[in-house]
Amino acid sequence: MHTRPGAWKKHAIGYMFLAPWLLGLLGLTAVPMLSSLYLSFTDYEMFNRPQWVGWQNYTRMFSDPQFLDSVRVTVTYVTVSVPLQLLTALAVALLLNRGVRGLGVYRAVFYVPSLFGGSVAIGLLWQRLFGGDGVFNHILALFGIQGMNWVSSPQTALYTLVVLAAWQFGAPMVIFLAGLKQIPVELYEAATIDGAGVMARFFRITLPLLTPILFFNLVMQIIHAFQVFTPAYVVSNGTGGPLDATLFYSLYLYQAGFVNFRMGYASAMAWLLLAVVAVISGLLFATSRKWVYYNE
Amino acid sequence: MLQRNSVRLAKHAVLVVLGFVMLYPLLWMVSSSFNEDTEIFRNVSLFPNAPTLQNYVHGWAGLSGVTFGRFFLNSFFIVALCVVGNLIACSMAGYAFARLDFALRRVWFAVMMVTLMLPFHVTVIPQYIVFNHLELVNTYWPLVLPKFLGVEGFFIFLMVQFMRNIPRELDEAALADGCGPVRIYWYLILPLSVPAIITTTIFTFIWTWNDYFSQLLYISNLHLYTVALALRQFVDTMGQTSWGALFAMSTLSLVPLFAVFLFFQRYLIEGIVAGGLKG
Amino acid sequence: MLKKKAAVASVSALAMLGLVAGAQVASATAMRHGAAKKATVTIRFTWWGDPVRNKVYNGVIQAFEKKYPNIIVNAEPTSWSDYWTKLSVQMAGGNAPDVIGMHQFYVTDYAKRGQLLDLTPYVKDGTINLHDFPKAVQDSGKVNGKLVMIAQGVTMSGQVYNKTLFQQMGVPLPKLNWTWDDFIKEATALKQAFTAHGMGNDHWGADDESGAMQPVFNYFVRQRGKNLFTKDGKLGFTFSDLKAWFTMWDNLRKKGVIPDAATAAQNSTASREQSLFVQGKVGITAIPANQIYLYQTDMPNQTLGLVGEPMLGNKSGAFVEGAYLAVPKSSKHPKEAATFINFFINDPNAGKIFKIEQGMPGSVKIDKIVKPLLTPTQQQEVAFIDNRLKLAGVAPNPPKGYSEVATLFTQTAQAIAFGQKSIDQACNDFLKQAEQILGK
Repeated sequence: MHTRPGAWKKHAIGYMFLAPWLLGLLGLTAVPMLSSLYLSFTDYEMFNRPQWVGWQNYTRMFSDPQFLDSVRVTVTYVTVSVPLQLLTALAVALLLNRGVRGLGVYRAVFYVPSLFGGSVAIGLLWQRLFGGDGVFNHILALFGIQGMNWVSSPQTALYTLVVLAAWQFGAPMVIFLAGLKQIPVELYEAATIDGAGVMARFFRITLPLLTPILFFNLVMQIIHAFQVFTPAYVVSNGTGGPLDATLFYSLYLYQAGFVNFRMGYASAMAWLLLAVVAVISGLLFATSRKWVYYNE
Repeated sequence: MLQRNSVRLAKHAVLVVLGFVMLYPLLWMVSSSFNEDTEIFRNVSLFPNAPTLQNYVHGWAGLSGVTFGRFFLNSFFIVALCVVGNLIACSMAGYAFARLDFALRRVWFAVMMVTLMLPFHVTVIPQYIVFNHLELVNTYWPLVLPKFLGVEGFFIFLMVQFMRNIPRELDEAALADGCGPVRIYWYLILPLSVPAIITTTIFTFIWTWNDYFSQLLYISNLHLYTVALALRQFVDTMGQTSWGALFAMSTLSLVPLFAVFLFFQRYLIEGIVAGGLKG
Repeated sequence: MLKKKAAVASVSALAMLGLVAGAQVASATAMRHGAAKKATVTIRFTWWGDPVRNKVYNGVIQAFEKKYPNIIVNAEPTSWSDYWTKLSVQMAGGNAPDVIGMHQFYVTDYAKRGQLLDLTPYVKDGTINLHDFPKAVQDSGKVNGKLVMIAQGVTMSGQVYNKTLFQQMGVPLPKLNWTWDDFIKEATALKQAFTAHGMGNDHWGADDESGAMQPVFNYFVRQRGKNLFTKDGKLGFTFSDLKAWFTMWDNLRKKGVIPDAATAAQNSTASREQSLFVQGKVGITAIPANQIYLYQTDMPNQTLGLVGEPMLGNKSGAFVEGAYLAVPKSSKHPKEAATFINFFINDPNAGKIFKIEQGMPGSVKIDKIVKPLLTPTQQQEVAFIDNRLKLAGVAPNPPKGYSEVATLFTQTAQAIAFGQKSIDQACNDFLKQAEQILGK
């Protein structure tokens, strides 16, 4: 293969297209990443010279009750919010995936919550909706149900953030819409001529051709959900309370680094998370060969 | 007949309720922006008692003599560059990963995925030190340069997934016609990746617009402030929060985002029309 | 072909980016100072502030630049919630502003890690004049014997109460020097009055302050002759202090005098404007005295009163608090920074502009100049601080790891409030974990 004249050209062209990213990796990403890996083995309080401590930061985690709380909270959040958000996004995308006039407005309406991002307004709003005398309780009262303080009770606080995630499903919805747009129209026409019904078309054409996008959304939502930070930061005012009920892994990591000045410890937490997420993503990629269908 | 009508009625009711749930924050924010400061937390209804434009006047006046007009221009400037940067760098890298064959391709792809998995807070300081050494703190470079160098793997992976789905026969036909990889990228792959390009545009626009954290760290000069950064300055737990001005300017800040979404989302669906896929 | 065009366009866009960003800074500076003037030194100054507060600081900067035309001060304010994150990154990156707003609760983080300049030499050579600063105020800026910060304003903690509400409910008003027994009595009486008026459901006598290690619990232990931390950075209080504290609050909670756990938890993260006190749902809450004007602004139809932190017998435990100015060690212009600080604290014009933005002026002289210029609410505040200052000592600076312990304290309080732990168990767990944090 290497002996064939012009084989080097193939590699050169590949690297030419990869060049901007590669430059960014070597110039901007790699150094900070590797330094954080190094710092994870040190006692680094942001201002001092890092002191090498070996695996101490890593072993310390398992006797840190807040760390264990944050793991519990994050795992619950990932397992509940990812499927919920993806299913909502897919269902709405399928509903709105039509070139009918006026549907654009609906798509925009469903995207509105995602426009807010991590705005301060979201924090206020969630207190207003799910607080002790919040709107939600007023609605429950109409049905004679006695409400409670949803945002500030340890048993329910996390689920108000799951609701927030389910409500901000705009991003995966748009990606699903883009994926649906890419499916060749002729396929549907041919299938319709063959007498395939709605369900048959969905399962034989839409779903298989959408698997690369489904896979993308799944992987990215899992990576994001493990790193989720903003909702808890905004709603609990950075505390992760009450009683660590919304102490996401990344929020605790942020507190450890920027509030408690244990940047070495925070780095160790970050690399542990990376390892876990990398394993999960690796498994997903491995299984993807079985169920993701590429048109190639 | 009657039954069908009631089903339709129920469908509409569900849609209206759902739409209201989706729009409630927006309505609340817009309504609050016309409320007086002291009324915002007292008034429970969605209609201001005594509507006033004062918040818009007060908010637009901005910070220390720099108006929101300047902040909007700055945000647009950064966002435009970021969109261009992401489109160029991510589509190129996506093309390389999805369609080209070269040494270490899988390794680089895995590395790219791994860069997505590290919580960004721990790289903040090393990154700041790098940009400080380059004397680029307090300019837009730290916000824009990373996009031109494809640092956002999210969009690269997105491009990869879309580009892999384009039938290979098209490449082969193009190759037979004497097209090289560069021409294939430009004339074949990019046009067929419009949905991914649109998605990247929308997201880069909205996310960069809202991303205050890196802007907070790198921008100190008031004249370089962005909308997201200026909005944060209205809230101060140790002082007087100008809630009214905050809501007024937040409302204005949503307008471009909403417009961009509304404009671009059309390109995500038109292809379906001809197929007549009916639910 | 097209790709080339795009590349050219992007390169020129990037070039523009540098030009525009640079040009903006240059033109902004030129606009302010005119090209003719020869500026010798530029220093950067950061503080926490909202747009209203920033106007006051900008005024001081302008007055300074007028008096010292060879020093330019670049203003870099940030709102409180982002201030400390940004400052820590700038410090770690070696790019901190030359003059920084400092706070008592945060100074340890920086000073004990050697980030702040000892200002003693500048006091000795007369650049900074502290002749008019009372000793307690001077000493409050010292960490490990080094003068690392100088007060912009001095404040004292107190309890604010809703006078209108007390009067409506026919409950006698709290007294300036009151004890914990009085506090319990007053809060309970107010709650009973609420219940009698049929408002007992969502009205309470006082806020739940059990989670506030700083400042209320600090007062509490100081009244018992102790401190939060010893000089060598260990916990300064014992199991019995902790248990007495949490038991007191738990009894109030069980009687419904203070809000239930969830309501209190929500209140602790709510903005001031949404807090139970501002909504008129509780009668008493703890504040730093210099914030009373904020509460008064939020509650235009209510009259507010300010009394001291409750005492134990005649022991107040009071200590000086405030907002300060510091210079980072990395500053390349420490002399100019010190000159600016001196102007800030001693110049009569600066005083007239700044007034009591961060509490009573540290300088007695400036205090005299400022007093006649104040509104009634502000005069109430200054009178209170003046009075309390006579009782005040200096609390030892907390050790590294302080913020972790403070978080742990709040959590312990919540664990008790939500009934997750018994008081004994919660106190034991706290002591064990706190020692682990501090021992490291």
